Amino acid sequence: MTNDADIQGAHGGVTPGHYYGHGLPYLSIDRYPGKIIALEGTDGVGRSTQIRLLREWLEVQGYGVVETGWTRSPLMQPTIELAKSSNTLNKLTFVLLYACDFADRLEKEIIPALKAGFIVLADRYIYTAIARAGVRGVDSQWIRRLYGFAIAPHLVFYLRIDADALARRVLEAGGMEYWESGMDMKAGDDIYDSFRSYQRQLLKEYAAMADEFGFRVLEGRKSVNTIQEELRRQVGEFLEGSGSPRLLTPEA
Amino acid sequence: MFVTEWNSSALVKAATKAGKKKNALTPMTFSLLHATDFADRLLYKIVPPLKAGMIVLADRYTYTAFARDVARGVDREWVRDLYGFAVQPDLAVYFRVPIDVSLDRLLARRVKLKFYEAGMDMGWSSIPTESFRLFQSKVLDEYDKLVPEFGLTVIDAAGSITDQQHTFRQLVSTKLERQS
Repeated sequence: MTNDADIQGAHGGVTPGHYYGHGLPYLSIDRYPGKIIALEGTDGVGRSTQIRLLREWLEVQGYGVVETGWTRSPLMQPTIELAKSSNTLNKLTFVLLYACDFADRLEKEIIPALKAGFIVLADRYIYTAIARAGVRGVDSQWIRRLYGFAIAPHLVFYLRIDADALARRVLEAGGMEYWESGMDMKAGDDIYDSFRSYQRQLLKEYAAMADEFGFRVLEGRKSVNTIQEELRRQVGEFLEGSGSPRLLTPEA
Repeated sequence: MFVTEWNSSALVKAATKAGKKKNALTPMTFSLLHATDFADRLLYKIVPPLKAGMIVLADRYTYTAFARDVARGVDREWVRDLYGFAVQPDLAVYFRVPIDVSLDRLLARRVKLKFYEAGMDMGWSSIPTESFRLFQSKVLDEYDKLVPEFGLTVIDAAGSITDQQHTFRQLVSTKLERQS
């Protein structure tokens, strides 16, 4: 149970598995056996690869795993896509659409999975929303209160990278796109410059949240395997002590 | 003068419509979608006419969310914080009506009560009129709390339309005279 104790207090006093703020008064989540493990980090840092590998490993260990990812709610995905392509988003509607997407996934995917004793792997969590809002000048207290309905994860990993390494990686992977380059912020027409400046600001926001929300920092420049090994070590250690239910006996 | 209606922004319409059709909205997503709609209209439809010195007539304002979302079980303080970005209206008028009158009026106009309007999503009753009564009673209780909290001016909406309109015009002209 050592890990649970470590994390307590690191989330601004909120115990993992509980609501950050007012929560959903109509939905009690007390003593649900599942766990939330979130992987945070900026665009192109390699989150999804790590999630995929971690999922495979956890399933072999006998755990039930559910994945949830940013803007993947069936309710909101079409609207968010439409809004992004039509140039009518302002910083407030941007923030609120994301919050709505998260709320939909929280109630329809995350909470039922926790209740059933699954491990929820979150590809990005509320911190991405807070970082993007922060860069766009949204009031930092307001957005934290807004996400008071979110559940504090049991573990939050943050894949850290610098803006230059990130730029090369994103270019190798297929190029920079409008939103992850922060072109909506109208800093200039050069997408490369805009990308670096926007991602630098985002990284600053993530860094500022590390202590507040108890991020476990992983170096995103290390190899996929090295990062995955470290992830598995920390997750394994946590789960051993947490008494999380397994669906199956682990393979020898 | 400019008129703006609740839940009318093009941005959010698709999601709201899809969600309502499939009865897929939870109290929280219902609340957040309406806040998104409001934020969109605030930016494009409310703030510009205000800057131009026009009068904006809002058919429902944040108080609708405060009453309705809380009746659905969303946290009272949270929803007030959520709308922290809204512009404080110069005059907020609440047309108060007893539950029976409002039910009679709705039934006289329409064949069927709408799913969310009747609070059918709450599962309190499978009979629409009964569900409406249970849900809207909670909504009206919340409105009564809002009156002193936000200084809403109450008009008795059980009376004749002529009387209501007379009182309404008087309220508005007093406000406008005082401000000019």
